[in-house]
Amino acid sequence: MTLLSQDRLRPVLAWVVIALIGVPVGGAVWLGVVYGESPCILCWAQRTSMVLIALVGLFVLRYGPRPRYIGMVVLLGTWGVYMALRHSALHLARDVGQGFAAPYFGIHTYAWAGFIHFVVLVAVAVLLLLLREDAPSYGPREPGRVGRFALVLFIVVVGANTLQAFITTGPPPFIGQADPVRFSLDPRHWVWMYEDEVRGRISLRGSWTVPRPDPAAVEVDADPANGPLANLPVLEVQRRLTITAPLGGTLTGFARDPATGRFLAVTDHHGVLVLDSTLSRVDHRVLLDHQYSIDLTPLAGAAFLGDTLAVLATNKSYVLLRPDSAADREWRHFRETDGGVTELRRSRFATERARQMYVLSLAYDREAGELITVTVPSPRHRRMVVSRFAREDRLLSSEFEPRLSAALTPSDSGRTLAEYVVTGAVAVDGTLYTMSAAYSTLLVIDLDTKLVTAAYAVPGIERPVGLAAHGSELLVAQADGRIAVIARPETGHGQSP
Amino acid sequence: MEFLTFLIILATAWLLWRRPEKERLAFALLIVSCIIMAVLFLIGTHTSLIPGLNL
Repeated sequence: MTLLSQDRLRPVLAWVVIALIGVPVGGAVWLGVVYGESPCILCWAQRTSMVLIALVGLFVLRYGPRPRYIGMVVLLGTWGVYMALRHSALHLARDVGQGFAAPYFGIHTYAWAGFIHFVVLVAVAVLLLLLREDAPSYGPREPGRVGRFALVLFIVVVGANTLQAFITTGPPPFIGQADPVRFSLDPRHWVWMYEDEVRGRISLRGSWTVPRPDPAAVEVDADPANGPLANLPVLEVQRRLTITAPLGGTLTGFARDPATGRFLAVTDHHGVLVLDSTLSRVDHRVLLDHQYSIDLTPLAGAAFLGDTLAVLATNKSYVLLRPDSAADREWRHFRETDGGVTELRRSRFATERARQMYVLSLAYDREAGELITVTVPSPRHRRMVVSRFAREDRLLSSEFEPRLSAALTPSDSGRTLAEYVVTGAVAVDGTLYTMSAAYSTLLVIDLDTKLVTAAYAVPGIERPVGLAAHGSELLVAQADGRIAVIARPETGHGQSP
Repeated sequence: MEFLTFLIILATAWLLWRRPEKERLAFALLIVSCIIMAVLFLIGTHTSLIPGLNL
């Protein structure tokens, strides 16, 4: 395919430069002057990148397609695609129509910049494919009539950009702004900034830098005396049970079916087990394929939804299972199975306040028909968020950060509920009982008022991973397979401190 | 700094037009402009250098 000589390439390239500098770059200046739109610091870089690509085109017009020019334009094109991804990521995942600034032809400028850089890469590839393999001739040449027009247009448009850049960003060391002010020719309205943009520490992923908790080995201070709430009453462990059935791993989540008395256990190797009411026999056992389909981080929560089994990973991905004697072809979902369980659904819970936070517990509110998760804090995000999801569609029903009732007082003014690390939860009669591995504390949350109505120190608990209710008792499951039995506090009565 | 970048770009274009024999200087100015542009973008994103999405 040898259609383009170097001589024929020049006018083609000149028109490419004219289009690039005239439409997106010239149009951007027009938007500034006519509509007062000022670019942010990221927009400026994207616009500059397009100008630099056009400038490389002028180099080729003058000196021919030298390898270093081609390398430079490919570098600028890929850098431009990266910039567009980074910039657009701020807005792409928002709801329909919720872009930033005005759309043009239905697309916002940050997305246009990505498209244009992508087209540049495609255009370079096509031109190289079509270029005839002549002997290289790299001396300066006359750009020709179209080339001269491209040069003049480039200088005019870049000159206008230079003026706009002076007005909206100022001379060095001032730089573009994250949230720019409107463009104005009146110097009284010019705002030049520097400090705001350089503030903040350098990070690769910013608020997405969230360490994954290990539900089998949560490292916390378990002493209730060091917790954020003062003078808590004590709930003594009344007796202990032990799971004697073979789990095949470390216990990381636990639930009890009030209808049948059976238990649901999940382990650190994505094992899901249905245990009989004596905790001595495994009725069903499957090993989920955690990297098949939806990625499952370690399992950390379990709940019975009637005869459906719900298990939750720390990343708020969930799997719904059902004991099924006619289960068939379950090798699709499981790494190991006893052949008596079917996978119904595997998906993710989507949250708002709980975004970028992991969870270590799952509860099911039978009266409301809602699944409930509670976040655990990370160095980046320190808050406790209770999220509720409708069973029918598993979408978010409500979400809140529990507040302390008047009866509870922090041990220090700087202490908060966010210091608790909830690793087990169970809902009973509109009350959410949560067990925190940190400070070995039971928190009682009223799901109607969103208040923590009571809290109790529970000494003698080691690495709690799950919580279940059995009549007037709560069963605190530990990672070692032992179950501590404590009295379930009555709600709305005087047990709060 | 964006203003400075565009001034350098203008100077480079002028060299291409009026002083084509100074190709090495023009290309050096192109490189400088690219570096300033990239650094400014990184300043604007330094608190999260890669897109805030699941990778």
